[in-house]
Amino acid sequence: MRGRTAGVAAIAMLAALAGGASLTRGEVAAARWWSAGEGRTFPERLDYANALGSLRVLLSGGPQRTKGHPFFEALGANGRACVTCHQPADAMSLSARSAQERWDATQGRDPLFAAIDGSNCPTLPQADRASHSLLLERGLIRVQRPWPPRAADGSPITPDFTIEVLRDPTGCNGRGAYGLAAAAPSVSVYRRPRPVANLKYLTAVGFEYDPKQGLPLPKDPESGRLLSGNLMADNRAVTLQVQARDAALTHLEFTRALTPAQLAQIVDFESRLYTAQQQHATGGAVDAGGAEGGPRLLADSRPGQLGSDNGRPVWSEFAAWEKPGPDDAALTPAQRAWRASVARGARLFRERTFLITDSAGINSPMGFGNPVRNSCVFCHNMSQMGNDVAPGQVDLGTTTQPFADPQPWLPLFRITCLADAHPHYGRVIQTHDPGFALTTGRCADVGKITLQSMRGLAARAPYFSNGTARDLRGVVDYYDRRYSIGYTEQEKQDLVHLMEAL
Amino acid sequence: MRRLRALRAGATLLACSAVLPAAAAEPLRFIACPVYRDVDAGRKSGCWLAEDAATGLRYDVSPSPTKPDWNHEVLVEGSVATAQDNACGGVVLDPVRVSILPGSCTRHSLPAEGFPGRRFVLPPRNVRPLSEARKPPAGPWTDRSFHLQFEWDRSFAVYQLDDYLLDQAITYIRAVKPREIVVTGYAATVPAVVSGRRIAERTQVARERAEMVGESLLRLGVPKSILTVQWRDAAEPAPIDAADGLAEASRRRVDIDVKLP
Repeated sequence: MRGRTAGVAAIAMLAALAGGASLTRGEVAAARWWSAGEGRTFPERLDYANALGSLRVLLSGGPQRTKGHPFFEALGANGRACVTCHQPADAMSLSARSAQERWDATQGRDPLFAAIDGSNCPTLPQADRASHSLLLERGLIRVQRPWPPRAADGSPITPDFTIEVLRDPTGCNGRGAYGLAAAAPSVSVYRRPRPVANLKYLTAVGFEYDPKQGLPLPKDPESGRLLSGNLMADNRAVTLQVQARDAALTHLEFTRALTPAQLAQIVDFESRLYTAQQQHATGGAVDAGGAEGGPRLLADSRPGQLGSDNGRPVWSEFAAWEKPGPDDAALTPAQRAWRASVARGARLFRERTFLITDSAGINSPMGFGNPVRNSCVFCHNMSQMGNDVAPGQVDLGTTTQPFADPQPWLPLFRITCLADAHPHYGRVIQTHDPGFALTTGRCADVGKITLQSMRGLAARAPYFSNGTARDLRGVVDYYDRRYSIGYTEQEKQDLVHLMEAL
Repeated sequence: MRRLRALRAGATLLACSAVLPAAAAEPLRFIACPVYRDVDAGRKSGCWLAEDAATGLRYDVSPSPTKPDWNHEVLVEGSVATAQDNACGGVVLDPVRVSILPGSCTRHSLPAEGFPGRRFVLPPRNVRPLSEARKPPAGPWTDRSFHLQFEWDRSFAVYQLDDYLLDQAITYIRAVKPREIVVTGYAATVPAVVSGRRIAERTQVARERAEMVGESLLRLGVPKSILTVQWRDAAEPAPIDAADGLAEASRRRVDIDVKLP
């Protein structure tokens, strides 16, 4: 069984690389897709082709039988399982391309397109492709947050801001059961599914204090462990257990509570997954020539270390490519150039400083100053993974005006701060997604989104929480515009190549 | 008069990069719109300058644990440093505290203009990772007080200052297992005139500071049953290390009094 599964993955990769010579595109897509309840065994290693090479998924501790496993079985009424939106081929996230392929393969009948959040709004005609445009074109899932926000114990939080709907293109912020005027008031925002892999890094804690909150880290009341604050875009679920319960109730429409045994199975499986790009179409293996790319190092390394302090420098996995290696003579010129570019990109990521301005979570409230000169690793600072060692709620402006690119397909909200003004936006803010503020109820948190995972990027476009960067170049271009960095064309390419290798 | 002499000395030393006499270390206090000088000596290397309207002298306030926001006024409290390196183009204040005020400023940035700035050096008061074991405090143990110091009218724990001091406190508390811990928050509510403006902290910020530290200690494992949280306004200066000898800054503090069985 284990060999058959690995073989399917290999066929999918080869077929895609060969332009579909041995399998039709639809057959390849079907082999890549994991449907709820199909009963395959999840092997220790899976390789999946993508447009830039191939992704590897490792499952530490041995293969996993998925028959009856709550991560893989449809628990609720809509036929979805966790795996529906956390696909191995998409680095345990979901790419817009996979959503499109699934629509084409099933004429939109796959549980992925469940009305509850796989459509722009449940009130829309579900058979109409346009009703799922945000998922199909941007890879976005609807996330419905209660208003006012609720604390972890369910008690209401009194927010220090008001929220109004300025624009409602999906109809889910002001129609029927959805929106601020509904019997159960809510705010619908649209976000990319976050990858369920490399989680020991996202749950790791490097320090006992959260500099962004000015407080020691909170503890999980169930386990007593310090909470990393790095799981969800808005930090609404602080442990894998809480996330699984929340996801089952909402995305899976599971009307009962997960049992302790089911929770343990889900968390166990998720915690054993590691993924990263393994091969590059031009550059070859990312762990060749002395480099240490790929998921193996992720599986074997200690999480929670600060690259500039007690850990190894971020993306120093590619330092060996700064100079010709022992296999240099065997490389093609294109391979050699790509490796050198990745190595330059890693250094740029660490060393190219620029002025960071008006970004809450960086320029306030910790006292770094506004502006502050630093590089990408100021926030992307954890060795091997590039997430924030501290809880990573930062406002890059991707969802909030005036920094956000135009997003006419998304709702637009007007926030009015009732007490202190926002440290950078003032008293009135226009945002497509208030982010962390929908969890805390604090005006100062509007626009803050937890840092994204940086591994397996090539497998899961588009990028940013709202999918506004269609490709990796779009990510670099956004940063360049936002902070007036002035990257050269070569520097942009180097950073893109670095991210292709992650 | 003595202050004026110190300022003149500072201005002179800016040119000659010599060492100031000890008498020059008298604290200054003024409100200004900050100016950012965009030097590039690596991460966190930008310079912050602020001009005292009373003298027209420009000071380098970069050594403050908290830096300015170029959109807002700052309250500057500091002493002219005994060593002047002229790295940023202003008389260096060190020790110095910068507090961001609500008043707006027109953001302004200067080019480096040949000033080198300073490479960032991790401050000595920085919290170490959890992976580094804390050294248990040596005995004999006694009742002991710890102090945190705050920005003007704020209760936010200053990064790489208050978190370090809190870490010192909890390391001691974990070792000695006290019978009682008293947290007292203070606020400088008695009005003072600074740069021609009458300023005073909010009375409630004393409570906010005390409650923030109380919550911090609870999160760090202090039993609620041994914790008392109280607050006082009209704070007097106190000789606390956290304020580095700056009397006005020392009014804005929290005391953590650890009492042994």
